[in-house]
Amino acid sequence: MTLDPSVLARIQFAFTVSFHIIFPTMSIGLASFLAVIEALWLKTKNPTYLQIYRFWLNIFAMGFGIGVVTGIVLSFEFGLGFARFAQTAGPAIGPLIGLEVLTAFFLEAGFLGIMLFGFNRVGPKLHFVATCMVAVGTLLSASWILSANSWMQTPAGVAIHDGQLTVVNWRHVLMNPSWPYRLPHMLTAAYLTASFMVAGVGAWYLLRGKHQEFARRTVALGTAFATVLIAGQVFIGDIVYGTMLKYQPSKMQAAEGFWEKQSQSPAPYYWFIVPDQKDQRNRFALATPYLGSIWLTHSLKGRVEGLKNTPRELQPRMVLVFYAFRIMYCLAMLMFAMGVASLWLRFRGALFNSRWFLWMLVFMSPSGIIATLAGWYVAETGRQPWVIFGILKTVDAVSPVPSQALLSTLIAFVCVLCHLHNCLRDLYIPDYSPRACGSSCLRRSVWFYKERIPALRARQSETIGG
Amino acid sequence: MDLPLLSASFLAFTLTLYVILDGFDLGVGILLLFQPAKPARDHMVDSITPTWDGNETWIIMAGVTLLAAFPIAYSILLPAFYLPVIVMLLALGFRGVSFEFRVQSKQHRRAWDVAFGVGSLVAALMQGLVVGGLMQGVTVQNRYFAGSVLDIFRPLPIISGITLLFGYAVLGGGWLKLKSNVSLQHFASRSLRICAPAFAIFFAIACIYAVRIQPGIRSQWASHGIALACLVGLFALAAGMLTALSGKSRPALPFLLGLLLFDVGITGMAFIVFPKIVPFSVSLWDAASSSTSQRLVMIGAACVTPVVLAYSAFAYWIFRGKTPEDGWKT
Repeated sequence: MTLDPSVLARIQFAFTVSFHIIFPTMSIGLASFLAVIEALWLKTKNPTYLQIYRFWLNIFAMGFGIGVVTGIVLSFEFGLGFARFAQTAGPAIGPLIGLEVLTAFFLEAGFLGIMLFGFNRVGPKLHFVATCMVAVGTLLSASWILSANSWMQTPAGVAIHDGQLTVVNWRHVLMNPSWPYRLPHMLTAAYLTASFMVAGVGAWYLLRGKHQEFARRTVALGTAFATVLIAGQVFIGDIVYGTMLKYQPSKMQAAEGFWEKQSQSPAPYYWFIVPDQKDQRNRFALATPYLGSIWLTHSLKGRVEGLKNTPRELQPRMVLVFYAFRIMYCLAMLMFAMGVASLWLRFRGALFNSRWFLWMLVFMSPSGIIATLAGWYVAETGRQPWVIFGILKTVDAVSPVPSQALLSTLIAFVCVLCHLHNCLRDLYIPDYSPRACGSSCLRRSVWFYKERIPALRARQSETIGG
Repeated sequence: MDLPLLSASFLAFTLTLYVILDGFDLGVGILLLFQPAKPARDHMVDSITPTWDGNETWIIMAGVTLLAAFPIAYSILLPAFYLPVIVMLLALGFRGVSFEFRVQSKQHRRAWDVAFGVGSLVAALMQGLVVGGLMQGVTVQNRYFAGSVLDIFRPLPIISGITLLFGYAVLGGGWLKLKSNVSLQHFASRSLRICAPAFAIFFAIACIYAVRIQPGIRSQWASHGIALACLVGLFALAAGMLTALSGKSRPALPFLLGLLLFDVGITGMAFIVFPKIVPFSVSLWDAASSSTSQRLVMIGAACVTPVVLAYSAFAYWIFRGKTPEDGWKT
């Protein structure tokens, strides 16, 4: 069996970057959350805020550490796996990442020590400044790296002379067409991730009847942030969708699951498809009629463009883009529903004692991470076969490294990162065992169908009867 | 203005800072493997915990400066050193997460201390392999690496790997002498007494062997004979002083001598490599990116680096003096 180095290099990069992005997403959100909490503590002197701060500071420290060590890998992986990409794109994205290191990484690293270990060494005001600096560092870092990635999606400001790329306008590289929308999209995603994590942990303590004061504050804050943010995110997401439809139509064509150049009118909205890239059709599809026209064209009978508009050799793999997009989209809808529910419960004063809602919050706590990952998969798999859209193809970007070397390091990465994941799980979920977790879910649902529903029915018939 | 030369100077500056700053972190990590007492291990790690993250960031700065200013060198060197660089990254990863895990994980603390030590040791060894790989020269064809990824496992890189291991241990010992309390002073002195001569001896072997196998080094030696001879003399003097004084000197002296050893070594390497950037094949002007890219990096570096150095120094100043016996309170 021969292994294609370009496939191996891509799998290695995808695996390491997927593992990495989980942690910065959490740290961007948590850093700002910690700054808010510390500000509240300085203002009110309520010790609960200090308790919240210290609890999340520990988790932030761990997440930040893992983010740093997995991020270093990426800054070298451009050259390790994709030497030709580095040589072509280095003049454009190299300086952006260089400025990211200078303005963001050092800022975070320099003040992180004070934030973590400086409680007794500096005054509370200076400590708050350190927390804010770390939070600003995470935002700057996101801003630079989104600029670099957005440039790969919608390149601008460069000229190419016999394969050599030179930058003609830095402002156009930096503020390339998709950056102004993708940056707020990612930042809101990070804040949503932190909000649902914080609310989920608080809900868990409320359900367990432990640390009530701490739990109430975190649930109240987490759901409040989440409600505001998800409303904004739906709006921002729509703008990002429109921008990408303009610059990378193939990505959005694949994300919606249409093949024909013009879909039928009215267009359905696909929920589940079995796409066949070879025959350029869906073998099976499950859809809601009319919904596609309404959502995608904002009219009752509008038509949607399909993937056949893109030449076959320039098409992304529909199955990856479609399902990544569906996962992100459905989670966003679920988050929106949670936001509405939290508002309603807050209005009725039942936010802390509706057990179903608290259980939902517990289950939703990783939703931000999953949605963010799915969103990145849409962005990156949808850009294929290009690595720099319209300029350099992924297959032409790889290093002259033999596939045996790539395969062995890929296995090493998988082993090390899986081990790291297990260590984290043992640390934060000490009594975790897949079987116990599964069986308790099963028991809950059996209990729900066997006892709860009949009980509700009985009560309903009583009221109707009475 | 000669922008590539300016960028190369900045690159040398970031690499030097990385080697020195993370050098003593890695050195403390290596020495951790030889410290049986748990409270002493805690104390050793506490001495580097608040500032290690900033120290490690300099290697990212160096890597990204290479990408931005010399993309051709970046895309030759990383595939050439593919295996040691990836192993180094994994080892640095283990070292980095151990800082948190060894505190937060109550049951597996001993295992995380071993991970900390082995991570530091392997990272140092791999960095040494890369240095040796640079000194034996890199095969380049048509602006891409054309050798084998296994070229690195030859005698010279292996000798220089061991050399750097001892070198970092010297820096780590000096740092412990400077920062630790009475109980660790003896341990620090003893590790200096062993590692300083070993570092000097292996360094000498590596130099002699490198001169024998690489004609590029011989020609550089011929043209910069006096400067390189002075550096060798200075290195020998510093190593001798360090070995002799490790027992009774003032606390800061061994660390400063360790810094001097590294500075001399790096300057010597710069003399040998310059004006190439991929040793003995590609010059730094041939590997440079367009002047617009160089200019942006240099303007950014000129504006931001002083600020970075200022608040990094501020962080060191906040955690100045001896490391507290019972660690930093979070």
